[in-house]
Amino acid sequence: MWTRIGDIDRMFDTMDMLRSRLNRVFTEYEGPYGEDYGWQVFNGSPRTNLYDSGDSFQIIAEVAGLTKEDLNIRIQGNYLELSGKRRPDAPEGYKVHRVERDMTSFTRSFTLPAEVNADKIEAVLQNGLLTLVLPKAEAAKPKQISIS
Amino acid sequence: MNEKTDLTTRKENIVARRPDMPRVAPVVDIYENDNEILLQADMPGVTKEQVLINVDNGKLEISGMRKLQTKGTSTWQEFGDVEYRRVFSVPQSIDVGKVNAELKEGVLKLHLPKTEAAKPRTIQISTL
Repeated sequence: MWTRIGDIDRMFDTMDMLRSRLNRVFTEYEGPYGEDYGWQVFNGSPRTNLYDSGDSFQIIAEVAGLTKEDLNIRIQGNYLELSGKRRPDAPEGYKVHRVERDMTSFTRSFTLPAEVNADKIEAVLQNGLLTLVLPKAEAAKPKQISIS
Repeated sequence: MNEKTDLTTRKENIVARRPDMPRVAPVVDIYENDNEILLQADMPGVTKEQVLINVDNGKLEISGMRKLQTKGTSTWQEFGDVEYRRVFSVPQSIDVGKVNAELKEGVLKLHLPKTEAAKPRTIQISTL
């Protein structure tokens, strides 16, 4: 009987898999990723994440195939606008079998949760991901209060 | 004969693969000319080291892992760590040894050259 321990392991693994899938049900509900059909275009504009680390915000956007010149980032107060155009990269003289990648221009704007210091924003484009680090304005930064 | 001895050996260490990242199919463009098939796939955030391309028995498998470098707590999140994976059927006339791939700005470009025998040939008409 105990030589079949692998079967028990396998059963627990399957249960774990079910649990983790159920854990994701709610977070994936509005998200564009499903189990097998995750490649729909998200309203034609890139998907973004926003993280808050106290002193600064970090925005990551999926911009595969775009170069530095194709992107345009504007900021005014806490209003951020990200626009860009994806140039068609279809090769010349080829027969087309399938085109799923979107070639449109997009504009997406955000209202950031707090004012940021517009002079110190850093933008990095790497591996098709645009990462923006936006330091918060002094007034919006968390302050340490010492007890007297 | 001992009842613990199995007639066939069982592989006890095979466990069902547990995907801890959601698996999605990347969007692709596929083009073809006389010399090659060209495939372009969007895999934003995937680095060169994490891409796997496998051509075997008429199946082409591309896969890539993405791990995001983030700091701080998430205010909103529309994408996350993901495994891009997609399998295609490719004709047997692909020259597997000459397949070449490049990854630039999150776009994987895969050149699948055809073998000499599969390329179209023009036949000259000889005048007698």
